[in-house]
Amino acid sequence: MSTNQPAPGAQPTSDAFAVDADNVVKSFGALKALDGVTLRVKTGEIYGLLGPNGAGKTTLIRAIVGLVAPDSGTVTVLGRRMPDLDILAQVGYMTQQAALYPDLSVEENLRFFAAISGAEGNVTEVLKTVELDQRRTSVVANLSGGLRQRCSLACALIHRPRLLLLDEPTVGVDPQLRVQFWEHFRMMAAAGTTIIVSSHVMDEAERCQRLGLMRFGKLLAEGTPNEVRAQAGSNNLEEAFLRLSGRDTE
Amino acid sequence: MSGHRIGAITSRLLHQFRRDRRTLALLFVAPIVILGLLGYLIRGSASAPSVGIANQDQGPLGATIAGSLEGSSKISASTINASDGDAKLKDGSLVAYIVFPPDFSQQAQQGNIAPEVHLEGSQPGNQAPVMQALQDALASLAAASPSAVHFQPKLTFLYGGPGLDTLDYFGAAFIGLIVFFLVFVITIVSFLRERSQGTLERLMASPLRRGEIVVGYMLGFTLIALVQAAEVLIFSLAVLRVHNQGNVLLIFGIETLMVISAVNLGIFLSMFARTEFQAVQFIPLVIVPQVLLSGILFPVSSEPKPLQYLSDVLPLTYAVNGLRDVMLKGADLTWPSLQLDAGVVAGFCVLVIVAGIATLRRQVA
Repeated sequence: MSTNQPAPGAQPTSDAFAVDADNVVKSFGALKALDGVTLRVKTGEIYGLLGPNGAGKTTLIRAIVGLVAPDSGTVTVLGRRMPDLDILAQVGYMTQQAALYPDLSVEENLRFFAAISGAEGNVTEVLKTVELDQRRTSVVANLSGGLRQRCSLACALIHRPRLLLLDEPTVGVDPQLRVQFWEHFRMMAAAGTTIIVSSHVMDEAERCQRLGLMRFGKLLAEGTPNEVRAQAGSNNLEEAFLRLSGRDTE
Repeated sequence: MSGHRIGAITSRLLHQFRRDRRTLALLFVAPIVILGLLGYLIRGSASAPSVGIANQDQGPLGATIAGSLEGSSKISASTINASDGDAKLKDGSLVAYIVFPPDFSQQAQQGNIAPEVHLEGSQPGNQAPVMQALQDALASLAAASPSAVHFQPKLTFLYGGPGLDTLDYFGAAFIGLIVFFLVFVITIVSFLRERSQGTLERLMASPLRRGEIVVGYMLGFTLIALVQAAEVLIFSLAVLRVHNQGNVLLIFGIETLMVISAVNLGIFLSMFARTEFQAVQFIPLVIVPQVLLSGILFPVSSEPKPLQYLSDVLPLTYAVNGLRDVMLKGADLTWPSLQLDAGVVAGFCVLVIVAGIATLRRQVA
């Protein structure tokens, strides 16, 4: 695998983008989960992927991280054509379910994920960032859903990734914690981390710098929250989303 | 109690079964396969044990008894030279041989019937039919003889001895089987849990190589399993006093190979199960036929021919054989049979490691 040369077929400007997915198609049997998605996310941007369940958000995130091999199209992450194992050392991925070892404590989980990315030194600091330092010895199985989600986020942050992929990170998280999460995201983006976050909560969409609306495996509309509203001719993001995705308010 | 509500639970269960074809197949196919196998094994079992007969008697009696032994249905008798006997016991072509010494007839006239019975000794089940056949042959003779005779066969054992019991025979095999079985179940379930709790997806989205995951798993489980193997071995030898004639380290070495193959077989087969429930279903599919066919319960040499071919490709057959050779016969690594056994089990380890790495998919869908 070449390290310095741009991957064949990549856009010449691909270095400016943390993620450059080009015309990605992926089918599972008869279902077209991704139907020609082109997505470019700039470095340091918070990009929100919106769409109803089954729109293809999770598949797109998995394609970006290399867990789904596209039937056609290319994915370039941080200048490297995926799949590329080495670049994954700079990518953080938080799955929908809190993927943790329930028998281990918060700190033990964190130490494990730190060790496989060679980031043991960050454990204490990341525990503080997600405010779990008081609960470091708690066994994950005994944690509430919200604390578990926080621990899961910590595991995705542990190696200080340049690109952070968050698949519905705030599902089951109370509003107070959700505000804290977004505070972290904003601080990280300010420090240069690119964040792609999927959600179907509209007040979260408001906090993204750019939004992409997905439905039926396609990216239907893209832009800043204001642009999306203008495009749909609506003051309300939720209404705009429903109009643009072809569903009228019922 | 509401019949309607109870009915709802019952009918829901039946609907679930209809969706889970694999469980259904297991429920209805596995018993037929297992019982069929068992029936074929026992009913179709090849014949009586092979016994060699060497008649050196200068009188007529030896020939008479030899003749009646050849007609016996309990053993399959053949004529041999007494000097070849031990070699034939060693290579497994005979389970025993009987020698009628030169003074056999002469002794008999003094009321003393003393054939030499040489037994292989490592399979306790083989002694009974040999002695039974010999007694049957003598019974007809004794009826014809007016004076009292004493039947005093001289027994010698190539391996073990008269003190060897069924536990010694099965213990050697079970030391390996218990470890193999438990380690397999624990690995397959915990690797599946890694998949179902989503942590495998997280590992796959990290720079970890597939080989690193498999080898890491292997080392972790092997470490725990070896402690278990040591415990089983110490308990068997010190508490149960299972007969051991060989090197304890060699037994432990064979167990280590079995542990490594069980761990990696578990990792490999976990790829073919979606739930922990389905993983447990591999037990009747993978473990039960091996238990029946690996020679633990029935010696491979007495199986019907077609099943022998099957036994010959099961790794557990070699492991069990190796453990018995060491513990009952005192085999060491200079024995070609033990080299073969250890080699096959080691080869199987490599095979399942490679298969596990190859089938571990990075893609989640």
